[in-house]
Amino acid sequence: MPLHPQVESRQLPGGCPLWLLHRPGPAILSAKLWLRGGSSGDRPGERGAAQLLAGVLSRGCGPHSGDALADLVEGLGAGLRCEAAEDGTLISLKCASEDAPQLLPLLRQLVQQPWLVDDQIALERQLNLQTLQRQKEDPFQLAHDKLRQQLYGDGPYGHDALGVEQELRTLDRAALERHASRLGSDGAVLVLAGQIPMDVEGLLEGAGQPVWTVAAPQRRQGPAGCTGERFTASGDETEQLVLMLGATTVPLGASQALALRLLHCHLGIGMSSRLFVALREEHGLAYDVGVHHPARLGDAPFVFHLSSSSERAEEATRELLNEWQRLLEVPISVAELELALAKFSGQEALGRQTCSQVADRHALVLGHGLDFDFADRCLEQAQALTPTDLQTAARSLLARPCLSLCGPARAITAAERVWQKHPLAG
Amino acid sequence: MQITTQPVTALPHSPSPAASPLPEPLRQQLSNGVELVQLDLPQAPVICIDFWCRAGSAWERPAESGLAHFLEHMVFKGSNQLPAGEFDRQVEALGGNSNAATGFDDVHYHVLIPPAAAAKALELLLDLVLQPRLDGGDFAMERQVVLEELAQSEDQPEEVAFQELLRRACPDHAYGLPILGRREALEDHTPDSMVRFHQRQYRADRCCLALAGPLAGLDLLAQLEDSPLGRLQASTETTAPSGLVLQPGDHTLELPRLEAARLLMAWRLPAAAQQDAVVGADLLTTLMAEGRRSRLVERLREQLRLVESIDLDLNVLESGSLVLLEAVCEAEVIERVQAEVRRVWEELSQHPAQEAEVERARRLVANGYRFGLEAAGSVAGMLGNSSLWGRRHNLQAPLDWMQYWDSARLSQEVLPLLNPEQAFCLRAVPA
Repeated sequence: MPLHPQVESRQLPGGCPLWLLHRPGPAILSAKLWLRGGSSGDRPGERGAAQLLAGVLSRGCGPHSGDALADLVEGLGAGLRCEAAEDGTLISLKCASEDAPQLLPLLRQLVQQPWLVDDQIALERQLNLQTLQRQKEDPFQLAHDKLRQQLYGDGPYGHDALGVEQELRTLDRAALERHASRLGSDGAVLVLAGQIPMDVEGLLEGAGQPVWTVAAPQRRQGPAGCTGERFTASGDETEQLVLMLGATTVPLGASQALALRLLHCHLGIGMSSRLFVALREEHGLAYDVGVHHPARLGDAPFVFHLSSSSERAEEATRELLNEWQRLLEVPISVAELELALAKFSGQEALGRQTCSQVADRHALVLGHGLDFDFADRCLEQAQALTPTDLQTAARSLLARPCLSLCGPARAITAAERVWQKHPLAG
Repeated sequence: MQITTQPVTALPHSPSPAASPLPEPLRQQLSNGVELVQLDLPQAPVICIDFWCRAGSAWERPAESGLAHFLEHMVFKGSNQLPAGEFDRQVEALGGNSNAATGFDDVHYHVLIPPAAAAKALELLLDLVLQPRLDGGDFAMERQVVLEELAQSEDQPEEVAFQELLRRACPDHAYGLPILGRREALEDHTPDSMVRFHQRQYRADRCCLALAGPLAGLDLLAQLEDSPLGRLQASTETTAPSGLVLQPGDHTLELPRLEAARLLMAWRLPAAAQQDAVVGADLLTTLMAEGRRSRLVERLREQLRLVESIDLDLNVLESGSLVLLEAVCEAEVIERVQAEVRRVWEELSQHPAQEAEVERARRLVANGYRFGLEAAGSVAGMLGNSSLWGRRHNLQAPLDWMQYWDSARLSQEVLPLLNPEQAFCLRAVPA
């Protein structure tokens, strides 16, 4: 089948773009409302506000109390999630198509008329504080938290979307009301995929509801990186040492972003990827090894991650650093580039299997202020890239990575020794 | 207590969401008895090929601890025709991907691939899975990887707590043992012991093949007759894992690196073969713990605010299913949480759920199931797993079975199985 469902582009009164992606198949509807401004929009002293607000949105809106809203959504077997990511807040609805007329009006009520009840804010805040605490059980999370500090300091990307404990504790209704009043003011887009009901615009407008004045998200430079300490470590009594090696790079859609995406495919996608083969298959150093490189409006992180037994800390560190160094020194082969291209287009096809996936990918692209056909044009443009282009991108963006470790003291000492002598540390 | 397996009387249908019946799978058999099950999904962009085998960790003998899972890793190290890594490279060069998973009961290997390359991918997959090379050097290297996987899971205290729950609750059963295996056993395994396990378990009467995706024009039966799958022989020895007996109990465990306490509980429920009962269990666990308005979430998280989260998962298994409860809370309140779980159960015993609550559960389960049928991979997985265990119902059937359950029947037949007195309860608290 064609990768593209039948597409309609419309606009809600007030300016919010509405994209309808009609798909044959099961009678399911997925809706994604992307609102520019996520955790990177948290003000100093209020880190965690975007996520807290997202959580509270579904605890009452418009005519529905929190209980009534849950009864409506769960009673129809539907799913409704509100979550803040770094660059945006995403409201996701998934339901049987025949239930859509009852549920679609909720999308605008959630953002325009949230209840923000003190008691429910207190509950949601307590849950977020507990989650922040529990996350410290995970050595990957600890290493990642430190790396984020190294890469973004106290900048907009410098904290977990859940927030910072001391600041989250102080967030009250007044703070959330300030955030809520600005929801969507930096741009919003609504994408529906699946079998879409007739008169969808009527359902979304909602009789008697005030017009929602928002514009399409514009292309704009997001937060920058600010490399701090090149090396950090958290001591923990684990069996393995977790290593994260990363740098800040460029936004989705930037001129070198595509070259970087191909490097990501080459290094980290699939069992034939370079890191998997070199570190797992050839050295047996790890079970889990890969690349983390999310799409961002600002300087996106590009991170290698690996966990290896603490007694092999020295070898694991050396091999991981050498793989990074290799990107700077040796262009990948033509055959490797071809494989990376195949994975890049394969990922696109595999990522469009369900209504939710389709809606999600388009909401992300449009939310970044990019064109609807951005992904397709990337597939075309990628064909023209050469191994030299990839190496040039690596040299300009990945020259000074930071290393973050989490594990037992002895392993950290061994790893630090390797780091200090390595050319990348210079 | 006795649970009827299959209702015989036809009850009137209440309308289910998106009520068009789901398509019928095509079932065929190779000459040696291996079942091939296919479902055409003309809209899907890729085909999923899914090979299933009754070779999960429950089939291991005592000295074979971890071998089923270790073998799953070794399969990707190549066959006599395919050098290590070549399979992945070829599949991924075609824009596809592959993976595998080992459970207690079974193992499966799956490939997602564009239709034009499906026949080739099938040939490669069967060669790899049924004729693995199991080379000594690769074996030693991959053992390191498996040991790293074990170490990684041991660094997650929540996983340690769950493993400990199963060990104590199922002391005489394979479900109480780790799928990844014991470290000492892993260190003792040899390629020969793995060859013996493979030859014993990967047999014609113990595997099946499922395909889902745009299958039009693909006739695989002839290709399969003349493949390693078509040449498989039936088993010579048949010793099946024993039925699951769960040992009730109540323990506390201090765990280092735990930041929040966990109340874990396990109950034994009817085995996968009792499909009607499994559907009932699915409905009741959903009614109790899925969504803000479910009994346990509403009471413990929303009203009393004692937990960060509470989950009740149904694990459908062949020797006896397991329902596992996990509540995340502060250590100081863990006893109160346990008492409230009991109280919720008692209230349901005394006052059966409202019909609206059951309908809510039906909708959640039905939609979850239908949402799961969108992608070729999950369709092939569902068909492959049920065919492997001789359950040849169509995709619509589980939705229909739900209609035979109402509040009274759930109260009489399923709720007693979740009696906290019959559970094994483990309180894992920070050391």
